[in-house]
Amino acid sequence: MPLLTESKRFIRPDGPDKVTGSGRYVADITLTGMLTAKFLYAGISHARITRLDVSAARQVPGVFAVLTQEDVPDRRFGSVADRTLFAKDVVRFEGEVVAAVAAIDADAAQKALDAVVVEYEPLPVVTDLEAAIADGSPLVHEGWADYGPTSVERDGNVASFTSMARGDVEKGLAEADHVISSRYVADASHAAPIEPRGVLAQWEGDRVTIWSSTQVPFLARDGVCETLDLPTNRVRIIVPHMGGGFGGKCGFHYEAHIAALARAARRPVRLVFSRHEEFIAPDRRREGMIIEITTGLKNDGTLIARRARVLLDCGAYSADSSFFPHMAAMHTLGPYKIDNIGVEVSSVYTNHQPSGSVRAPTAPQACWALESHTDELAAAVDIDPVVFRQQNCVDTGETGVAGQVYDEIGLQECIREAAAGIDYGQDLEDDEAIGVAVGWWPSFPGASGAYVKIDSDGKGVITTGAQECGTGSVMTLPILAAAELGMEPEDFELVYQDTSAAPYDEGATGSQTILNNGRAIVEAAQQIAVQLKNLAAEKLEASPADIILVDGKAHVAGSPEPAVPIARLARTAAGGEMLLGKGSGTPPEYPSAVGVSCVGDSGLSGWAGPQFSCHAVKIRLDRETGVVRILGVSTAHDSGVIINPIGASGQVEGGVMMGIGQALTEGTVYSEDGAQENPAFLDYKLQTIADAPPISIHFAEIHTPGMGPHGSKPIAEAPNVATAAAISNAIAKLIGRPVPHLPMTAPRVWGTMQRRGEA
Amino acid sequence: MSFIIAGSINEALAALAAGARPIAGGTDLVVGARQGKAHLPPSLVAIDRLDELDHIESGEHGIRIGAMVTHSRLMTEPTIVSGYSALADAAALVGSPSTRNIGTLGGNIMNASPAMDTGAPLMVLGAVVQLRSTAGSRAVELSDLWTGPGQTSATADELCVAIEIPSCPARSGSAYVRLEYRRAMEIAVVGAAASVTLADDGTIVDGAVALTAVAPTIIEVDNAGTSMTGLLPDAAAPVIASAASDVARPISDLRGSESYRRHTVGVMAARAVDAAARRAAGEEIGVPVNRAIGVGASL
Repeated sequence: MPLLTESKRFIRPDGPDKVTGSGRYVADITLTGMLTAKFLYAGISHARITRLDVSAARQVPGVFAVLTQEDVPDRRFGSVADRTLFAKDVVRFEGEVVAAVAAIDADAAQKALDAVVVEYEPLPVVTDLEAAIADGSPLVHEGWADYGPTSVERDGNVASFTSMARGDVEKGLAEADHVISSRYVADASHAAPIEPRGVLAQWEGDRVTIWSSTQVPFLARDGVCETLDLPTNRVRIIVPHMGGGFGGKCGFHYEAHIAALARAARRPVRLVFSRHEEFIAPDRRREGMIIEITTGLKNDGTLIARRARVLLDCGAYSADSSFFPHMAAMHTLGPYKIDNIGVEVSSVYTNHQPSGSVRAPTAPQACWALESHTDELAAAVDIDPVVFRQQNCVDTGETGVAGQVYDEIGLQECIREAAAGIDYGQDLEDDEAIGVAVGWWPSFPGASGAYVKIDSDGKGVITTGAQECGTGSVMTLPILAAAELGMEPEDFELVYQDTSAAPYDEGATGSQTILNNGRAIVEAAQQIAVQLKNLAAEKLEASPADIILVDGKAHVAGSPEPAVPIARLARTAAGGEMLLGKGSGTPPEYPSAVGVSCVGDSGLSGWAGPQFSCHAVKIRLDRETGVVRILGVSTAHDSGVIINPIGASGQVEGGVMMGIGQALTEGTVYSEDGAQENPAFLDYKLQTIADAPPISIHFAEIHTPGMGPHGSKPIAEAPNVATAAAISNAIAKLIGRPVPHLPMTAPRVWGTMQRRGEA
Repeated sequence: MSFIIAGSINEALAALAAGARPIAGGTDLVVGARQGKAHLPPSLVAIDRLDELDHIESGEHGIRIGAMVTHSRLMTEPTIVSGYSALADAAALVGSPSTRNIGTLGGNIMNASPAMDTGAPLMVLGAVVQLRSTAGSRAVELSDLWTGPGQTSATADELCVAIEIPSCPARSGSAYVRLEYRRAMEIAVVGAAASVTLADDGTIVDGAVALTAVAPTIIEVDNAGTSMTGLLPDAAAPVIASAASDVARPISDLRGSESYRRHTVGVMAARAVDAAARRAAGEEIGVPVNRAIGVGASL
């Protein structure tokens, strides 16, 4: 039985606040005596700091604090500990923070920034991925070997590296009837949340409270503790309402800078980013990529072997991206049956803004390349792209590229339903086409905790470490607690986004909230259910094992009367052993991958709870201009059992729209000296509601044991994987070959058509 | 910083004479200041409460549109939609609904962006701008008004009070089409406006074509009318496409390369001629043409 049927519409607890405008975000919070923070950015992509003098800045009237790296502990952070809070000796990208000021207002802060004396000796700028890995390239991190121990494979400008091998790829290619090679280039792009980030810090004695628009409050807290040498119980992170993240607000960002400023200034200090800063500064940009794939196949369409080389633009620091090569390797191989593989992926340091987790990191670009390549394979053997995928994609009980044998999965259902949902095979106008692509995405089991209590009137409070980034996942948690206790979701209040109130959770990252925190909520609620059943059993003179909780009451199974209201049991409990539950279950294990050898292993060859998807997109092409218009999108997803259909559908619609943007209009343009040329919404074009096509949604609801509650799997990132790829395949059908550059802007589509004309 | 709310045109003109800059909707001025393009002027005079600038008067000889008339009104005003359709097409494409509700025709003209949407339609419709200062009034042809990106021949103390467009002969139609990468919040990559008058046999008697975002100002395709005269619209469109590409002097920037713009402005010009001729022949094409006939692959 579904937990939430279409007939029972669930109003998410934060909905009214957000819709009516009464919700408060970091930028809305004002504390007495609060100062304004501003950062001095490098403004140059690679240079040695030869002079940095903030003494004049400290004398500017209204300025309370000016900090540089000299004023904070000498600590490096990031997934390979390659970064300091402020630039240390060298700046490596334009948005690197050199100094921070706290002043009475923005004007005084700006005057102080203007008074900072900083002189640079320019260093060679590294921007080209292939040049960066060539012998003799200037290094972005000359001295990384001295930064400390690291577990990742590094060499020269290679920040991290993964290779995967299984079978014999050379032999496989030699035995193939056709060998097809493709090369694709994807530009970097941005998460572009509507709320630019804000951080506000206030000290009371030796304790600091930090309000931050972070997706990961516990990781942000850990970052503050690590970089400022503080114990965790002296740092409290609170997240007010959050205006979107899309991965861009994962990680530890500026909480330590503002805490350090507030301590030095002895006043609360608030930072609110401009849109320009939101574009250039954070270390969470979707990575640019070069993807080269060679596949051998038989005349009957059977895939024999695949070799690939992928370069990722790491940017200047590794942020959380050290697992990206392994992830990109899996996405370049895809959810296919291929016995012989050889893939090498390098994440390469450049003097660009650092890359980091943006919704399904590496997947949309790698899937775009792989699936465009797959349509080229299908064309080579003259098999319809849908049939080709049905033939080659993995199914239940079959073995995937990394040797994982899949339990019950719904990829074949996804292919069938996505095609059916858009009437694939229909007669189309000359300027219309339907493209199809499959995608996949892992689930990330991890530790997570929550408390549930029921107070004396029978109303509940959930205290969770989980973070709501706008997806509605935390808002869905009351549904889970209510289901265990025979109560309504509306019976529960949420206390969340406060690291001092709730147990640990990894945050709104990796689509993991319901998977992990959902299990914790269920476990906590089940403890209360046991208490309630014991209380009810006494009152009803029955065995606790025979009591069920339903419709706000407890009664003996099979006889609805007599019943005891849960509120009455709660009143009894309030005078003695209180109704308190705590949950933090053991995370599900990652399945094993067999026969694959992996250098630079991030543990991502075997995927726990793999999610599958197929998107089919109908487009119209204006052949005279290259402008592509999306007429309709049909989606099908295997994300297990769906707990909140409205929320899950919202994730699919949002993922598709983000995918359309990546496909057609969203790409960062870099100058030769490493600066972003379009760090503003005027020329970094998101899709708008006016561009949104009809989107049909199918869920292959396969009960997946041992993952999320009620047989569920995650959903937030998966819908962002295959849309751009499907659009690419539709374009290629109309112009005869894929556009090899993402985003596939109108000028690039037109340019591809022109080059074809000349050939 | 001083901010004066003008209660009358004379008050506004006096403030301008004293060095203030006018503000109406503020959609260029405020957004530009926030982007760091230019600081807000130290002295502003608000003209948004001057009702006399908010009138549309139409008669036998043409139409007079007050400078404060918003894009939202232009795109829905029946006289403009039917008689000066290209202007309605353009107004309907400007920015977003909120931009159109607050942004004004006078502001769009005097901001003098080469990518402005209303400029090319006004040019092919033969519009004249009425400028006023404490010293008096004068009428300026659009080709004399725009002197470069963001630059006009108006002096600092002159206020644009109205735009006058002569009435069109019978069997005339006009249209504006624009190359756009998305369907809202867009700025013209290139655009073209055409006005066309047809003879009874369906051939073109007269017309004009002007281009958006391919030169430092909106530019007219020279002798477009004579080159189309005597041709059926189907034959005229390719002639105009090629003339438009020839006369264009586009730059390469983030929105498009020089060669892409040169090519697509021809495509837009041909489509504008086609749509204008169909309207001249009596066909109903909704506003804006971009949505009505699928230009730029829009539905």
